[in-house]
Amino acid sequence: MINRRKIDFVLLALMVALIAVGCVAIYTASTTVISEHISTANYWWRQLIFAALAFAIMFVILKLPMPIFDILILPAFVLNLLLLILVLFTPAVNGAHRWFSIGGINIQPSESAKLLTILVVARYISKENLSDYRRMAYGFGIMIVPVLLILIEPDFGTTVVFWVALLAMLIASDIPLFFILLIISPIVSVIASLHWVGVLLWIAILIFLLIRARLSWVAITVSALINIFIAMIMPVFWMGLKGYQQDRIMTFLDPTRDPLGAGYQIIQSKIAIGSGALSGKGWLQGTQKNMNFLPEHHTDFIYSVIGEEFGFLGSLFLLSLFFAFFARFIRDIGKLKVRERKVASSGIMAYLMFQTFINIGMNIGLVPATGIPLPFISYGGSNLLINTVSVSVVLKYLNERGFIK
Amino acid sequence: MTKAEKVFYIVCVILFGILLVSIFRLQVIQGEHYKQVAESNFVRIHRITATRGEIYDQKYRPIVQNIPSHNLYLMASAIQDLPALARFLELHFELSPEELNQAIFRNRFRSYEEILLVDNVAFEKMLSVSEYLNYYPELSFRVDSTRQYHYPNHFTGYVGRINEREYDQHRDEDYSINSYIGKTGLERYYEVLLRGKDGREIVQVDARGRSLGLFKEGGYEDPLHGLSLVLTIDNDLQDFAMRVFPDNVKGAIVVSDVRTGGILAYVSKPEYDPNLFMRRISPEIWEDLNNPNKPLLDRVIHATYPPGSVFKPITLGFGLHKDIVQRDTRLSPCIGGFQVGNRFFRCWEHKGHGRTNAVEALMQSCDVYFYDLSLQLPLDDFKAYALESHLATKTGIDLPNERNGFFPDTQWYFKTFGQNIGIQGHKVNLSIGQGEILTSPIQMNAYYSAIANDGIWIQPHLLKQTVGRAILTRDEVDKLEKIRLPLDNDDLKTIQDGLYAVCNGPKGTARSVQVPGATTFGKTGSAENSMGDLTHAWFCGYIVTDKPEIAVTVFMENAGGGSAMAAPIARQIFDYYMGNIEDIKRAAPVPAQFRHEEIPPQNESQDQIEPTESEDGIEEMPEQDVQVEQ
Repeated sequence: MINRRKIDFVLLALMVALIAVGCVAIYTASTTVISEHISTANYWWRQLIFAALAFAIMFVILKLPMPIFDILILPAFVLNLLLLILVLFTPAVNGAHRWFSIGGINIQPSESAKLLTILVVARYISKENLSDYRRMAYGFGIMIVPVLLILIEPDFGTTVVFWVALLAMLIASDIPLFFILLIISPIVSVIASLHWVGVLLWIAILIFLLIRARLSWVAITVSALINIFIAMIMPVFWMGLKGYQQDRIMTFLDPTRDPLGAGYQIIQSKIAIGSGALSGKGWLQGTQKNMNFLPEHHTDFIYSVIGEEFGFLGSLFLLSLFFAFFARFIRDIGKLKVRERKVASSGIMAYLMFQTFINIGMNIGLVPATGIPLPFISYGGSNLLINTVSVSVVLKYLNERGFIK
Repeated sequence: MTKAEKVFYIVCVILFGILLVSIFRLQVIQGEHYKQVAESNFVRIHRITATRGEIYDQKYRPIVQNIPSHNLYLMASAIQDLPALARFLELHFELSPEELNQAIFRNRFRSYEEILLVDNVAFEKMLSVSEYLNYYPELSFRVDSTRQYHYPNHFTGYVGRINEREYDQHRDEDYSINSYIGKTGLERYYEVLLRGKDGREIVQVDARGRSLGLFKEGGYEDPLHGLSLVLTIDNDLQDFAMRVFPDNVKGAIVVSDVRTGGILAYVSKPEYDPNLFMRRISPEIWEDLNNPNKPLLDRVIHATYPPGSVFKPITLGFGLHKDIVQRDTRLSPCIGGFQVGNRFFRCWEHKGHGRTNAVEALMQSCDVYFYDLSLQLPLDDFKAYALESHLATKTGIDLPNERNGFFPDTQWYFKTFGQNIGIQGHKVNLSIGQGEILTSPIQMNAYYSAIANDGIWIQPHLLKQTVGRAILTRDEVDKLEKIRLPLDNDDLKTIQDGLYAVCNGPKGTARSVQVPGATTFGKTGSAENSMGDLTHAWFCGYIVTDKPEIAVTVFMENAGGGSAMAAPIARQIFDYYMGNIEDIKRAAPVPAQFRHEEIPPQNESQDQIEPTESEDGIEEMPEQDVQVEQ
């Protein structure tokens, strides 16, 4: 069933390289050097075990006949939704109901929901003879179910990943780009409303793009007015908020306002990465890491360890690896001819890329901290499993090229 | 290349471009700046420990107080020469290198926090060692506070350093690795109230004291100090009860206020000094604490014993409740024993008591009356009745790990002795509080207190109210359980008359127990047991002036007969109480520091921060308390 000539070994090799870098980073992140005492927590070989498991699952997926794989998706999705409901009844950990704890292993159903929702959405929005509006409505209608369940948990960060994936899937399903523009325009308007120059600039760009998309003048005027309205209403809405509500939003946007909470982590992460400078402090030599100023730096803040110990050169290497991976990924998407598979692969690519950007951005203080791990690098079994499985789905699609569905 | 591909490529290039530029800026352009910051990374969160609540008796006299202590801290990440440090600590603090390594290893992933290495360093020691500290910058002395327990007792319990297991267990409750946590007794039970909430302070200055300006504002959170507890204990009465209990005897005394259920004196002998646990315990002391007399055992609630004759009112109550006997029903004559099947059960009085009614049977503690009565009592209902009277089951006193006690049922006998066993003989034993039945002194005290209180059982408790940041009565912290014993008024009167006759009747077993100014009620017990040749001596009783006053339970392990051993001690306590009744009952003035309106600075500062939240914090405490119990 596995056609050797059609497996994309380059993409596979890039992923393996990322996981390997991850294990190395986890090893140093969970090692503490005090005087000549060196102690390492056992996270890195646990990650290796998960990686081995992930490759076993990848092999099974590649072996699985395509029709069976296609049939399994929907029941798996329904089962996943049930798990998302069940998880709400588990005892809260840190104020959120996100994990099933079975024998010391934490299972997070929202992780697998990412992949399964993408596959199901891809199937429904790729049907032939759908109008663009229906396509968007279907995509939105399916996506909203897991998103609402995950919002109740609550886990805001993860739901954003879903929307980004949906956007990419709509783009891949050949929805005209101006629709996408219209969908994201209110969000940009809200951000632009922070400064009046931003508003003017944004509205100008918007109108320019819409004219280029050859829309009717009526549609252009209406959408421009709506966006101007949104940009104008934001300050009013903002003033209407109570002081502590404003504080909360501001702290989310700028964590350094909360030095005892998220701000502390981001500052520590920035100090660690920045002090790595050009060439880094060397293997196991990260002083900030060894002082353990950052708790749990083998998970969400693992990039800070890489940045500190390997410096800008190390960061450059990691970024290049990621960039090569995604470039190859996009190239592969272009090779897929069955629309459903192309759309699904786009969703998977988008969610991986978005998580990568958000996580590294969070480590260097560029975007607010949201608790999104770095794909393939951060420690975490279910996260690694799902990312690897997602990529193996794409590999399978590539492998099945040429079969007529 | 399709349109979608193009868009994806563009987005990918833009995103990675943004990251690359930002990282370049951070690491290459600002790298030197951050290197300097990192070299003296003074950005760290410093914990401001909340002052733990103190514990007072009902007249605000101290039982547990905070006193300053000098503690030695270690900053593991600053260690320069580990072997030298180990030698230094071993020489001056008897801290073995293994212990040091263990402490460092335990905290290896939290090395930004200081480790509390040695607590309660003697002042002289600190002075003599201080000069060496220049060579060990990783060590520092700090003044914290420790607990001082004013007298040996079993109810306050003690605090100790949090251990790994507790730290994991309370992961979400903001304990630090250096925190103290209540280990036993009230310290453990009311941990949530006593502890308060630690404050936080962010330190962000460089080595020269200049602000690094990395954060916009804020960075300080006031600690919320723990609530102090005012107990129902009366220190004078407690002290008297401690002294009146003979040395070299194991046992317990419980004195409770009948109308409130509050415990006035709580004695378990032999006692231990909780202050011992505030220092490193030497092996000799530890051995002594675990000697065969088990001084650490709280005999009031953690040990259960056969109650013997003090259980008879319950048997009688059940007979009356079921209408098997009336007040004047006379059962089989006592001829010094009673024949059940092919066994002859002896009465303690070999001469026999003749035919007795309920009151006479209690007065003379005639076993035969209860033997005969028990034959007509269904065992499982008997058990249910006993549990309903809150015997052989937890009273829910505000102390951790209370024992249930035990009352067997048919099922249990079948399981233990096989299906063919005759239950009759066992029931006969149970009716006089012998055999398999086990109760704790606190359960008996609560029952007798309820008899005195006209059948209303009130949950025994030690906490009267909290003082400090919030004044909460015991009911506000956790609602007291109050139930009516399964006795109607006539039945209750019969039992009360019986208990009156024990102390005042012509043939009563506790005629010595009489107090001027009050009427005494009570019951003696001498429970045979497998622990020794002598019986356990019991006395349970109460006194009534114009209203019921106090209930006293005296229990002495393997000390002999109840009327000879336990009753005289109870009489002395009754005597003491009546002699000092005005002092004991006089409400003490609230000391200035606890008058709420007179400590505005603290209140104000809280209000300024978040008026709604501080109220919420107080409201939630009873709920959190539930977690502590379990």
